[in-house]
Amino acid sequence: MELTVNSVSCTVQSPPLTSLLNVLREELDITSPKAGCESGGCGACTVLVDGQPRRSCLTALCTVDGAAVVTVEGLGTPEDLSRVQQAFIHHYAAQCGFCSDGMVVAATAYVNAGGSDDTDAIREALAGHFCRCTGYVKILEAVAAAARGDELDIDSTASSANNTYVTIAGAES
Amino acid sequence: MKVVGARLPRYDGVGHVTGRTTYVDDVRLPGMLHAAALRSPHHHARITHLDTSAAEAMAGVHAVITHADVPLLVYGHLSGGGIPGDEPLLAKDHARYRGQPIALVAADTVDIARAACAAIDVGYEELPALFDVRLAFDDDAPVVNDAFGNWYDQYEGNLDVRQIRKGDIEAAFDAADLIVSGVYRTQSQEQVPLETQVCVAVPEPDGRLTIHTCTQAMYFSLGVVCSHLQLPMSQVKMVGGTVGGGFGGKVDTASDTLTALAAQKTERPVKWRWTREEEMLASGNRGPWHMEIIDAVSRDGWILGRKMLTIHDAGAYGRFSVYGVTKHSFHHTGAYTIPNLHFDGYVVFTNRIPTTAMRGYGITGLSTAIEVHAERVARELGMDPYEFRLKNANRVNDTSPNRIPYEDPSTVEVLQSLASATGSELSDDLRAMTRDQRSADMLPDHLAAQIGSGGGH
Ligand code: FES
Ligand code: FES
Repeated sequence: MELTVNSVSCTVQSPPLTSLLNVLREELDITSPKAGCESGGCGACTVLVDGQPRRSCLTALCTVDGAAVVTVEGLGTPEDLSRVQQAFIHHYAAQCGFCSDGMVVAATAYVNAGGSDDTDAIREALAGHFCRCTGYVKILEAVAAAARGDELDIDSTASSANNTYVTIAGAES
Repeated sequence: MKVVGARLPRYDGVGHVTGRTTYVDDVRLPGMLHAAALRSPHHHARITHLDTSAAEAMAGVHAVITHADVPLLVYGHLSGGGIPGDEPLLAKDHARYRGQPIALVAADTVDIARAACAAIDVGYEELPALFDVRLAFDDDAPVVNDAFGNWYDQYEGNLDVRQIRKGDIEAAFDAADLIVSGVYRTQSQEQVPLETQVCVAVPEPDGRLTIHTCTQAMYFSLGVVCSHLQLPMSQVKMVGGTVGGGFGGKVDTASDTLTALAAQKTERPVKWRWTREEEMLASGNRGPWHMEIIDAVSRDGWILGRKMLTIHDAGAYGRFSVYGVTKHSFHHTGAYTIPNLHFDGYVVFTNRIPTTAMRGYGITGLSTAIEVHAERVARELGMDPYEFRLKNANRVNDTSPNRIPYEDPSTVEVLQSLASATGSELSDDLRAMTRDQRSADMLPDHLAAQIGSGGGH
């Protein structure tokens, strides 16, 4: 069967009833979709199928033959982060990060569809995505910021090379 | 201020949002096998026979590990600290909880490994199981734990109970105007990290093992693995630090040891990732606590003394429970100072999943009990709960149940902030209160004896 994954077309060999999650992780070695529950309950495996967020653990390969699949690797690179990725970094919306791949994918679909910064609407869009670390507040803030198109300064939060403390205005006293 | 309020750089932020962070399940190695476990379907059973030959004969199966393969079968998570071992890495003659691993299969795929587990021939003779800690002491209770019986019995001085004795408890109860008792029971709770237990173990050409681990306690897990495998620590390299959530549930060494053994036996890299069902069914969770509190209180609102009985449900094996109950005992007065104490805490075994750490091990359920009890005492006294709490709040140089003077207790400030955040009126006196040591003229007799004489040690 054929898939276009992050703009690369591939012929896949897995049997037709293999979950898309296993095709991506085990056959194509694309490891960002996470196997949190493999039963549709946690959202960590979410990918875009023809632009729509789907639980890849519940999606049989044969139902997506020919589809365009996008994982978080396809949304932006460390050098060229998407707006949603920048907002997740800026707002510290990823703690252990295990839910983040699915969250970023679902949030991207929401923002791309013109979603607003309304908290209830964001909750609705992310329903079924579990995060055990952050308490969700930071995630809601990040998605709202991305939806509004906030100007974000991620240099102070994203740097791995420069491990010095960065102070913000007003904190120096 | 350099740090508070500053935007600290997150070294892993970019990795987390671009799919670049490598969790244990993301480790890819050529020739890697996949493991699955055969687990006890019974809460308590004698294992009458175990025949793995059909599983071993299946195409794609590379190894079936049973108790006979483990160099040191029985070890305890606190054995390094002198607590005798009680838990077999794989069940041998007895299964003590539902979900206890009996065998591990390493195969070409997870599906083959699972099918092979189903092909293992095990005979069980079901035994009566114990689930309620309150029945553990009965003469006719099923015996749960091989090493200790139904409760841990090897505290210092051969005591079978963690005790705290402080001050003169009988005098406190004689002097009480009011005695308030309550029983508090908290439930067990699974930590539910989004990443289930997972390990990748790799045999290196020089004979060493590399273990990609999701542990929260790297060097501790290194010790557990090396003990069961009887390897010097120089032979094992643990790679960790990227944990997909743990919350205490990854302090136990859940998957590393068996995966390492499978890698040794097959001479191939092996991955063992638990399913969500296994995580819920068989990984260590926060234990239930049974707590009985009896306070001796004076009419003007001082807690003169506390008697407390705690029964902690350890599940089938000790793991860290002895530590948990000890920590619990040190904290059993919570944010308040009570000079006369009589505390007994038992680690009781039941046929449940062994329990472990979760966010405030030994303390979280206890805090619920202490605070609900404080509220009840205040009501019985007809006293404002804030006043009651602030009056008994820990102050500088008060001593903890284990006789450590508090240098920096925050009870007063926390209660004052709580009152202002919830719009509760405090009197001027209470608003002006600080954590500073109580002045001698403020001290009630029972605290004067404790603090005035240098701490009542
Ligand atoms: S792994 Fe697909 S929803 Fe949890
Ligand atoms: S950041 Fe850990 S589960 Fe969401």
